[in-house]
Amino acid sequence: MDTARKDLADKARARMQVYGLLAAIFRAAPTQALVRMLKAPGFTETLDAMDLSLGAAFHQAPPEDLAQELSVEFTKLFIGPGSHLSPHESIFANVEGGEGGLWGERTVAVKKFIETAGFTYEQNFTGLPDHVSVAFEFMQKLAAAEADLLSGGETERADWCRRVQGKFLAEHMVNWIPRLCDAVIDKAELPFYAAMAKLAKNVLEFEQQTIGGEVPETV
Amino acid sequence: MTRLDRRNFMKLAGASSAALAAGAGASGQALAGTADIPSKEASGIDFSPTTGKQLEAIPSACWQCVTRDSIIGHVEDGRLRKIEGNPNSIRTLGKLCARGQAGVNQVYFPDRILYPLQRVGKRGEHKWKRISWDEALDTIAAKLKELRDAGTPELFMYQYGRHKASQAATMYDFMAAYGTKTIGNHTSVCEAGKWVGQESLWGGMYDNWDYDNTDFVVIFGSNNFEAHTNHIPTAQRLIRAKVQRNVPVYTFDVRLTNTAAMSTEWVPINVGHDGLVMLAMCNVIMNEGLFRKDHFKFMRVTKDYKASVDDRIAAVTSQVAAFTPEFAEEQSGVPADKIRQIARDFAKANSACLVTYRGTVMHYHGADQERAAMLLAAITNNLDRAGGRVMGVGAGWKHPSSPVAEVHKSLNINDGFPGEAAYPTHHVSHQVWPMIKDGSHGRPKVYWWSCYNPAFINGDNNGVAAIMADESIVPFQICTTIVYDESSQYADIILPDVTYLERWDWEDMVSANQIAEFYIRQPLVKPLGEARCQGDVWPELAKRIGFELAYSSKEDFVRQSCEMTPGVKGAGGFEYMKKHGVWHDPNAKPNYGFYEATVDTSGDGVILDDETGVYWNWKKSGAKDEAEAKSVGYLKTPGAKKGYVAQDIDGTAYLAYPPNTKFVKAGYLDFYSDNFAEKGLPAFPTYTPIPEHTKKADDELILTTYKTAVHTHSRTTHCKWLSEIKHDNPAWINSKTAAERGIKDGDAIKVTNGTGEIATTAYVTEGIIPGIIAISHSLGRQQSGVYGSGKASPTPGGGAADPDAKNKWWDKHGVHPNVLMANWSDPISGTMRWMDNVVRVAKA
Amino acid sequence: MTETKAPMVNRRDVLTGAGGAAAVGAVAVAVPASEAKAAAKAPRWAMVMDLRACIGCRACTVACKAENDVSLGRFRTVVQEKTWGTFPETKKRFLPIMCNHCAGNEKDKVPPCVTACPEYPGERRKWTIPSGEKIRYRHGATYKRPDGLILIDKELCIGCGKCLDACPYGVRSFDPFVKAGKDPTEQAADKCDMCAHRVDNGVEPACVNTCQGRARIFGDLNDPESEVSMLVKEHNLATPDYVLLHEEGTNPHVFYLDPDGVMKTVYKQREKGKLDHYVDQIP
Repeated sequence: MDTARKDLADKARARMQVYGLLAAIFRAAPTQALVRMLKAPGFTETLDAMDLSLGAAFHQAPPEDLAQELSVEFTKLFIGPGSHLSPHESIFANVEGGEGGLWGERTVAVKKFIETAGFTYEQNFTGLPDHVSVAFEFMQKLAAAEADLLSGGETERADWCRRVQGKFLAEHMVNWIPRLCDAVIDKAELPFYAAMAKLAKNVLEFEQQTIGGEVPETV
Repeated sequence: MTRLDRRNFMKLAGASSAALAAGAGASGQALAGTADIPSKEASGIDFSPTTGKQLEAIPSACWQCVTRDSIIGHVEDGRLRKIEGNPNSIRTLGKLCARGQAGVNQVYFPDRILYPLQRVGKRGEHKWKRISWDEALDTIAAKLKELRDAGTPELFMYQYGRHKASQAATMYDFMAAYGTKTIGNHTSVCEAGKWVGQESLWGGMYDNWDYDNTDFVVIFGSNNFEAHTNHIPTAQRLIRAKVQRNVPVYTFDVRLTNTAAMSTEWVPINVGHDGLVMLAMCNVIMNEGLFRKDHFKFMRVTKDYKASVDDRIAAVTSQVAAFTPEFAEEQSGVPADKIRQIARDFAKANSACLVTYRGTVMHYHGADQERAAMLLAAITNNLDRAGGRVMGVGAGWKHPSSPVAEVHKSLNINDGFPGEAAYPTHHVSHQVWPMIKDGSHGRPKVYWWSCYNPAFINGDNNGVAAIMADESIVPFQICTTIVYDESSQYADIILPDVTYLERWDWEDMVSANQIAEFYIRQPLVKPLGEARCQGDVWPELAKRIGFELAYSSKEDFVRQSCEMTPGVKGAGGFEYMKKHGVWHDPNAKPNYGFYEATVDTSGDGVILDDETGVYWNWKKSGAKDEAEAKSVGYLKTPGAKKGYVAQDIDGTAYLAYPPNTKFVKAGYLDFYSDNFAEKGLPAFPTYTPIPEHTKKADDELILTTYKTAVHTHSRTTHCKWLSEIKHDNPAWINSKTAAERGIKDGDAIKVTNGTGEIATTAYVTEGIIPGIIAISHSLGRQQSGVYGSGKASPTPGGGAADPDAKNKWWDKHGVHPNVLMANWSDPISGTMRWMDNVVRVAKA
Repeated sequence: MTETKAPMVNRRDVLTGAGGAAAVGAVAVAVPASEAKAAAKAPRWAMVMDLRACIGCRACTVACKAENDVSLGRFRTVVQEKTWGTFPETKKRFLPIMCNHCAGNEKDKVPPCVTACPEYPGERRKWTIPSGEKIRYRHGATYKRPDGLILIDKELCIGCGKCLDACPYGVRSFDPFVKAGKDPTEQAADKCDMCAHRVDNGVEPACVNTCQGRARIFGDLNDPESEVSMLVKEHNLATPDYVLLHEEGTNPHVFYLDPDGVMKTVYKQREKGKLDHYVDQIP
């Protein structure tokens, strides 16, 4: 494999991993197992190095308690009852015509985008098609496909994957996820989700500069 | 944070990968399949998502109110856009009311509960965490299994507000298979007294009014044009009869309702005097010889079962003699001449409908007022006859049943405190919580409610809330709901219900044209979030507890029912119903005069009871042998009514009016009722003043309540298009009554009594009788989201997952009059005496 | 020059409410052209409100909200109600109101909302009726289509609000969700369009479809056999007493069948510059 292609493949694989993390974090409250992994030095040190503090309590609390706290926080932030942040594109994207609201026009657009790219929604997935975690998972899967194609030498097809990611990023994700993240940063009571929101926002910014930059306007 | 660059991005990727190792990642995937990547040659082509809209029109059924109109849902790309009436429905003729039109709001209102939630703080502290359905069902199953294994399944109580047709059938099926009969309803706050009054007479209940064929309509205490349990089918036929056929419509009401306004004449009447005016009408009709003899042979009006028709006429005449129009005028405020005129026209009309509802029956002895209505209909031969007050006809579905548990029992907390009600055939639901608090008749250990809001809809609702909040009373509470409301805030587990637009049902509500309509409800859209239909929860729960049900899902239950129900099956069964939504027998004739059917009495075990003239099958009655049956007699043999066959009338065996529910009776319309007499209640319809009204001080007012055209009692305030039109409920007060208190239109007022206190404003109007106030009972929500209570904050994404929320312009949300209502029961029926409360009203 | 086609409307279905098949709503299938009768001239759509039959149920108000996704705070149709008299001789009646789809005075041939529109008269357009004949008309941000409907082209709207002020009935509002096409800093004007998207597909308007008492009757005045034509003729409705604000000279095409003479009693006019009269409220 030539160096440039290997470099692209590594990047794709890295992006797959980061999107995988974001999908997991925003899909549901973390399980105890995930909390244990997040508390491991490898993860916290990486975040510390990026000035993303999870707070002292995060390090000290036993995983059972932390999982419980994060579960309450996740519910308060994203589920309700009462005032919460509904983490869906149809809610956070600026839409003309009053077509927002749950299962709005943007929901349909996301669903069609993802389905046109070849995926279907899992039968037992009970969320809405434009949930933030679905966007991350979609990117994760496309990045994985891209990495595999690059490793197999199918550069053109890998380019297609990357272009679709760029298009999804530009037409969907950047139009609303940063706003959602700002709202999370504002509303979160524990440092964890604020940190994750900051992270997500930065990842999207980074993505825009890298793969976003490689995508021609016409795509 | 530090900006991302290639170096720390790669580090982050490594850390992410490590964190997600060993399956600690997202709980399940959202997406399946793989990317559909074009070939190398084609991969240069632009990627463009498909566009084209996918449109569907799906027949289903409404549920905004109990009328349950057949509807068509218009769905675009999986989003419900519009609901219309189903033009093929013989019940609704394609019409739908404001509430039905706003059904879309039920699915997409911003504060909808979409995931199972578990309480983490104290009850009422509003702290919740999301849990999975598996966790929720495992927790619930463990509690229920424990009770069942201990032989005390009755300590699990289930209570519902509206469960009908297959929604009720699946629930009762599960509860029977589990073993609890502690199942509460809500009918005593609805109209139970009406049904009890009817059951004491014609055995069954649910009267329909044959407006299509009637020549005259008299309405008491029913706002048919705005709200009714069979609203759209009846209201449109009534206005059509009036406009197109010039049918006179007289409406007796304390308030100028839309119905009264669009009647030929509004006849103002004092609260609680409907029955008296009906008896005065009977008085006029009997004295002036305007009655029709036809129905008297089916009427029992004295102790004597065998009295001649002439004797019966004489007896009715004498029973109503005291209720002269002048006496009625004195008490009811309706001019005697007006009573005479309407009575004469009513009796002379070829056919006439006598309509009653909550205004008539939600009183002390309300059930007896309904009996007076039946008397008026009977003496003019307007019972179950074309154009009259007829027995409702609905669809009779067959459905699968699961085996009943060996231990199947009940706590005795559904029928009120001992001695409270003589014939609570529809239960005393408003006393369930007071009885739970009292505790002397047992307390459930698990209480589960659904489509029900006890801390809002009952009398002294704040009192109910306090009991629900107390963890020492019922230790485990489960609520299935779509909205966070006054009761679900005290649940331990909240389960997200589907809306009616996301579920399966077969339906059976009464037709207005006396031909049964079979219809179904099917999901218009996939349930939002993790909302799940109760009918899908039961099989899951049964499995976890350790028994099986006869169906695997609500859809399966509906499918099986369609294939089991003869007419529907013949038409094409489930597939036909999915396509058309409705079916009726094209050869069916309107059903009138069921009582006139003659019956073959030659069956094995059928004997004639000498005292009553009832043919009954002693073998079905539980009697030991024929000799015992004959010597004990029909009336005294427990279970005899199960063997009822026919009523002998002048040598002909008629089906007549078979007994039902708790009333042991012959086949006559029991206007003289032994059942009532033996409990010290009026044996013949009479006038009983309401004690609280007789005792009230001169400066006190009577409190009445009502529904408007755009709301139900408790399940529509979160619908934005409805609350936009009606979100505040100032108290209606007559200008004279207001002036006596120095109250002007729009003034702030205080309404108080021994039960509670509310602050509201006055709507001073000529459209209400003096001496009372009227407050609609749909508003004054503590919770129900941003549109209903203003509670959730209208910020992006929060309470405002609907961009329209920022256009919400009203900040008033009304007051709730139930705060002022005592949980008093009608001693006959156990119905809540909703309209008997007395209040003081003063300028605030 | 843009050409549009007059709808191939199966009039019977529209006028009778179809008693069934055709009356199925917003996204219903259009009546196939082969079934449509060729009409000699363009339809002239109109509505008759039978005030004897309006029971104030508000199904029309909400059906309109749902059909047209009308945002909160404004309406395309409302029911006004009024209580008058002294107890016990008290009366209450209802008055559904909406855009009158006025024909305009003799001179202008268009109503004041159209003359007020700075984008009118705009492009010349042609309208093809079922017989194949073409009718010319002038387009605008607010314009009169040859079938009599007063419509808004939001793409052309500049959001100036002159039409809102010019309408003596006050049935227009700004749509907070749609920007004016020609000036995206403003919101577009909005009002009842007689459910043109339904009518053009042979389906009656949403408010008519759900009206319990058949108090709303929709149809073609150019068809002498239509129910609206017959009602207008029989009850002499094209006269000052049976339309709102006859004195404004707008020539409204919503007629009130009102033998009891309640229209003028119930009607609450707009106050200049305000739209409070056009918010549906139950007291």
